[in-house]
Amino acid sequence: MSKPLQDHICESQLFERLYKRHSKNLHDFLYYKFGDHLNPQDQVQEAFIKLWQNCSKISPDKAKSYLFTTANNLMLNVIAHKKVVLKHHLEPQKTTTNETPEFVLQEKEYHIKLQNAISNLTEAQRVAFLMNRVEGKRFKEIAELLDISVKGVEKRIYGALKKLRKEIDGI
Amino acid sequence: MNREELIKKWLDNNLNTEEQKAFKLLEDYNNLTKMDASLKGFKAPKFSVEKSYRTLKPQLKPEQSSSKKWLKPLLRIAAVVAIALSVYIYTSNLDTEINTFVAEQNTIALPDNSTVELNANSSLSFNENSWADNREVKLNGEAFFKVAKGQQFDVITSSGTVTVLGTQFNVKERESYFEVTCYEGLVGVTHNNKTITLKPGQTFAFIDGKLLANEKENAVQPNWLHGESSFKSVALKHVITEIKNQYNVSINVEDIDTSRLFTGSFTHNNLDLALKSVTIPLNLSYSKSGQSILLKRE
Repeated sequence: MSKPLQDHICESQLFERLYKRHSKNLHDFLYYKFGDHLNPQDQVQEAFIKLWQNCSKISPDKAKSYLFTTANNLMLNVIAHKKVVLKHHLEPQKTTTNETPEFVLQEKEYHIKLQNAISNLTEAQRVAFLMNRVEGKRFKEIAELLDISVKGVEKRIYGALKKLRKEIDGI
Repeated sequence: MNREELIKKWLDNNLNTEEQKAFKLLEDYNNLTKMDASLKGFKAPKFSVEKSYRTLKPQLKPEQSSSKKWLKPLLRIAAVVAIALSVYIYTSNLDTEINTFVAEQNTIALPDNSTVELNANSSLSFNENSWADNREVKLNGEAFFKVAKGQQFDVITSSGTVTVLGTQFNVKERESYFEVTCYEGLVGVTHNNKTITLKPGQTFAFIDGKLLANEKENAVQPNWLHGESSFKSVALKHVITEIKNQYNVSINVEDIDTSRLFTGSFTHNNLDLALKSVTIPLNLSYSKSGQSILLKRE
């Protein structure tokens, strides 16, 4: 086994690189998992501060899992599992539209349905599915972030899709 | 390729052109793309890495935070060590003190094998740790020293200091009574800033503010080592004091001039015999009631 070059991350440059690599993914992970009512941004910062405080004990290759675990625990400390409802940010409405009011209404209904369906996914499904669909991450990337197998990610995402289709389109 | 495989590949953004075509032909292609488009609306709020790092940075205390990590336990260890060290230094600098009570004698071995015979009602203290550099004892009372050869050896009393190299000598320091007798070797006595050297057999006595002439002593050891106190032309009051040291009694005198000189000795084993040997030569008598003794004229 080769020894890692460094056994700690107490250098600010190294720390900054870690921040740039992981902070957005961590933020998205927290958002998709817990929603935004617990302020994922703050928890990201919190997790990184914890990482810095313990920097002497953590090697660079352990940093990612440390961050995700810490942030996850920070969240769990605060909430007693509330149901997560993600807001659908409607694209800015065009002021004039040539769509019929009926169509607009349908669209709205569709969004609401979708929102409910997503809320009904399991946490694991939702995180993997939205990272894939919204953030455009490939299975492999998600597997790395969540420390699970690619097959596991595929299962979660496809399971989520099936669930959504069933609730929305009835198949 | 079946439908499920295609959809999974589509989810993983992994369709080649051929599969793309096949995917488009799926009956639920429209539904899937519609949902996909709509899902984009659930995008997580924008997270600006640069900006949030800038806000985080001031909260990251420089490496100090990590250096303080070891400083704290180190300080604790240092405190414990300091306390232990000061306790050790304090206790090791404490003098060893030996006391004898009335009618008790004690033999003390000093760190260099010098021995001290401590007479009754006396105290001796010395520092065991600095003994190698400083052979020094403090004496209050009477003691006979057999000093091993070596560096200077000091006996400090409130009346004066006795300095020797390797010898046998007796020091008696009681109230207004200071007597040093040399039995072997050479003894220096410093008293009132004057130093007198004693040869074997010589005695230095400073009693009641008077310096007494050196007198020849023939004994090899002081008599008190053999259970007898002897005096040569010593005022009665000092003899009485010595009786009080050797026997646990109180002595009152009635109508007697205690500055009369006494020459003789008394035993430490028999109070009556001792009192007789002091009173008869001086034409005195005594009466005894319990622990108190009254001396009076015959």
